[in-house]
Parts: sequence; structure tokens; C-alpha cells
Amino acid sequence: MNALSPVQGPKSSFIRQMITPLCRVAGISLAISLLVSLQAHARNDAPTIRLFPTTVVEDLRQTSSVAKEMETGLQEVIGRLDQQQQLYQESKCDGAEDDPGCQRLAKQLGATYLDMLGIMEQRLPDMEHTVNNTRLSLEKRIRSELGNKMTSWTLQETLLGGNPQEGTSKPSPSMRGRSGMRLSERFRQYYKLVASSSSQTDQSLAVLASDIYLDMDETSELIARTREEIARATLIEQLNQSFGTITPEMMEVVGGVKSILFGDEQSNIVIAGPPPGSIEQEYRSPLEN
Amino acid sequence: MNKTVIHNRMLAAVTVLFSMFTLASCATSPPPCNGPQSKNLNSAIGQVKTTLNNGCEAHFDRYYDDLLTVAEGDPKPENKRIFSDFLLWASDEGILSQRQAKNYYNRYFNVKFMALQSEYNNCSHTCPVRDRVMINMERELSDKERGLLNVSHDNEGYYRADELYQEVELVLEATCTACAAGQ
Repeated sequence: MNALSPVQGPKSSFIRQMITPLCRVAGISLAISLLVSLQAHARNDAPTIRLFPTTVVEDLRQTSSVAKEMETGLQEVIGRLDQQQQLYQESKCDGAEDDPGCQRLAKQLGATYLDMLGIMEQRLPDMEHTVNNTRLSLEKRIRSELGNKMTSWTLQETLLGGNPQEGTSKPSPSMRGRSGMRLSERFRQYYKLVASSSSQTDQSLAVLASDIYLDMDETSELIARTREEIARATLIEQLNQSFGTITPEMMEVVGGVKSILFGDEQSNIVIAGPPPGSIEQEYRSPLEN
Repeated sequence: MNKTVIHNRMLAAVTVLFSMFTLASCATSPPPCNGPQSKNLNSAIGQVKTTLNNGCEAHFDRYYDDLLTVAEGDPKPENKRIFSDFLLWASDEGILSQRQAKNYYNRYFNVKFMALQSEYNNCSHTCPVRDRVMINMERELSDKERGLLNVSHDNEGYYRADELYQEVELVLEATCTACAAGQ
């Protein structure tokens, strides 16, 4: 069955899957560029580990730009879909599919959906290219800096950033890519991370680099799968156009894509951590490593 | 007359043999290596020290566990120092090596994971055994929960260890994926 057809309800999740990483890429890329440039201003000393040299930053900027173009294009078409869907509902077309006016609206809706697929088809090759470039650049840096130059013990020390107790009060950059966090929340976290400290350490960069790399890896795979599906999805929708039908599943797809692009407040629930520890002077044993 | 002498001699011999047997059995029976009875950590440590000095060194693991249980009954930050002093004493007495003492302390009371000790790079050494490393870290995190949280009331320390565990998991996944891609 067609994975991107608007009339196939379960397929909407595939679109969600595909768009979420694209949004992530845009957010991640922009934030990294900002983070790294701020670092350069804040610290004159060279970083201990070089996970984000200029080439990687440039790749990220490029990815950011391509992802943003695609995101903007999709937002526009989603806006149109939204309006058409609203008109369809207000015209009480549900259950009146034989009505010529409703059939016309359904066709328009389908045509806009085809536009969305068209934008994806047009932008995805560029997207795939830049995502792969970034992934490969990061892969090389991570392999060299974290894989070949570090032991598991030095990696641990890098992550702790010198003083194990100091890390607790800093906003942690960890687990963003895998958390399924919304784009807006992700940006908020990046902003906090960058704004709260003018001297980001290798500690955050190692986590950040890993997070982005794994995210890019998944995105890369999803883009390839999506490209394979688009042609079939387009064909099926063109067939649907001949019948001029619209189903609740199609509306669900539009709603799903909207929530991904514009955010979903309910998903931003924060789970509380353990209460803060004692403020007494921390004891340090002579046995500590 | 002769009969009486023989009887007395036999009795003396039996008495001597019995005494020797009793003494010999005293010398070879193991000391009673009981755990600490006190619910007060300092007293319990005193009892354990005495027992350890009386030939029960082989039971150190069990005593350490007993002492942690006692400390869980009265959790406070200074328990870290008490355990550290106890381990330093055990090291000075030759019951533990310096390395063992460090391991006992850090496994329970330090944010850092002893499971990550290695002298070789991640691509060659850690990645091939990543699953095992993560299992060992998970076990150690459980010990840190006991030492940092339940014994020392160091919530912040435990929170950081838990966070570190997740960061290591993520970074190792990325690193090992990158290492595998380069092979």
C-alpha cells in the first residue's frame, strides 16, 4: 500500500516520521552554528577535542538552509490544506460526497496534497545530500576524537567536565535527538544551553555531536525510504483525484503534519528529577579517582 | 597393686589424649565470623574491625554489605567519610589492597563509573564489548543509588551519575557506530 497517500489513515505516521527529523535537522544545525560561533567568541583557547571544526559547521549551515527551505515550503502548503479542510468541513461535505461542490473541494484538497508531495520530491535530494555530508563529517570527527583518541575512562572524564559535582546545575544538552521533542521545545533548550553559559565545554559538545550524528543517521535512512514512497503516493493520489473523494483519514494527515510543524504543547511534559542534594560542603575521600 | 598402677597410668594417658584432642580442636576451628550486631554505624564498624582482625578477612564483602545496610538506617552525608576511613584502615591493615579500597569506595560513593576503567581506545577496546560495559554500568548505578542516595543522602551526586550513565550510553552508541562505519 502507498505510504504517503492521504486516504490511507495509518500512513500519516510515516509523514510524521519523515518531517520530524527534517525539523530537527534545521533546529540542530542552526543551534550548533550559534553554539560554536559563541564559543569562538567566548574562548580564545583551542578546544581540547575538535568535534565541530569549520567544515562540520559549514555542513550544518548548509543542512540548516536546505531544511529551512523545505520547512517553509511545507508550512505554506500546510496552511493551504488547513484552509481547504476548514472550508470542506464548514460546507458540511462530510456525508455529502456526491455533491458537485464538495467533489470540487475534495479535488482541490487532493491537489494541494499533491503539491506537498511535489515539494518533498523536489527538496529531498538536496536534503539527502546535505544530511549525508554532515553525517559523514561528524562520523569522521567522532571516530577520531572520541573513538581513537579516548579510552572509556577519559570519555567519562570529558563528559563529567572536570568536576563531577559542577555538572549538575548546568542545563544538560543530552538526549534531544532521541526524545521526540518538538521543534519549538528543542530550540528553547538550545537557547537556554547557549545563553546560560559563555564557556561551553567538551562535555556538552561530545553529547551534542553524538546526538546529532545519530539523528542524522536515522534521518538519512528515513529520507531514502521516503523518496522511494513518494512516486507511488503521487500516483495513488492522482487516481484519487479522478474520483474526487476525501476521507477523514486525509484530514487526519493534515492535522498530524500541522502538529509536527507548529508544535504540540501536550508533548512537552517534563518529568521531575530527584530533589536537589545537600548544600553542605561536599566530602572528598582520598580514595576518590 | 599392679592392676591399680596400670589403671592409673591408663587413666592419665586417656586424660592427656583427651586434653590434646580438645586443644587441637580449639586451634583448628574457624573463628565465629558473625556480622555486626549494632545498628549504629560507628559501633558496627568497630565490631567489624575486631572480627576482621580475628581472621575473618575472607568475609569482607559480606561485612561491607552489612555496614551499608546499617548506614541505610541512618543516612547522612558524613557516612561517606566514615566509609572512606574504614576502607583506608582496611588498606593500612593489609586486608585490602589500595586498588580494592578505591574500588569499594568509588563504586558506591563516587559519581564516576569504575566499569569504565580501560587503558585502550574506544574503537578497539570498548566498542566490541559495549553491551557488557553498559550492563556493568547499570549494576554499578544500582550500587551508587545505595551509596549516594540511600546511605549518604547525596541526591545531586546520584542524579549526576544517572545522567552520566545516559550520556555515556548515547556517546558510546554514536562512537561505536562511527568506528564501525570506518572499518
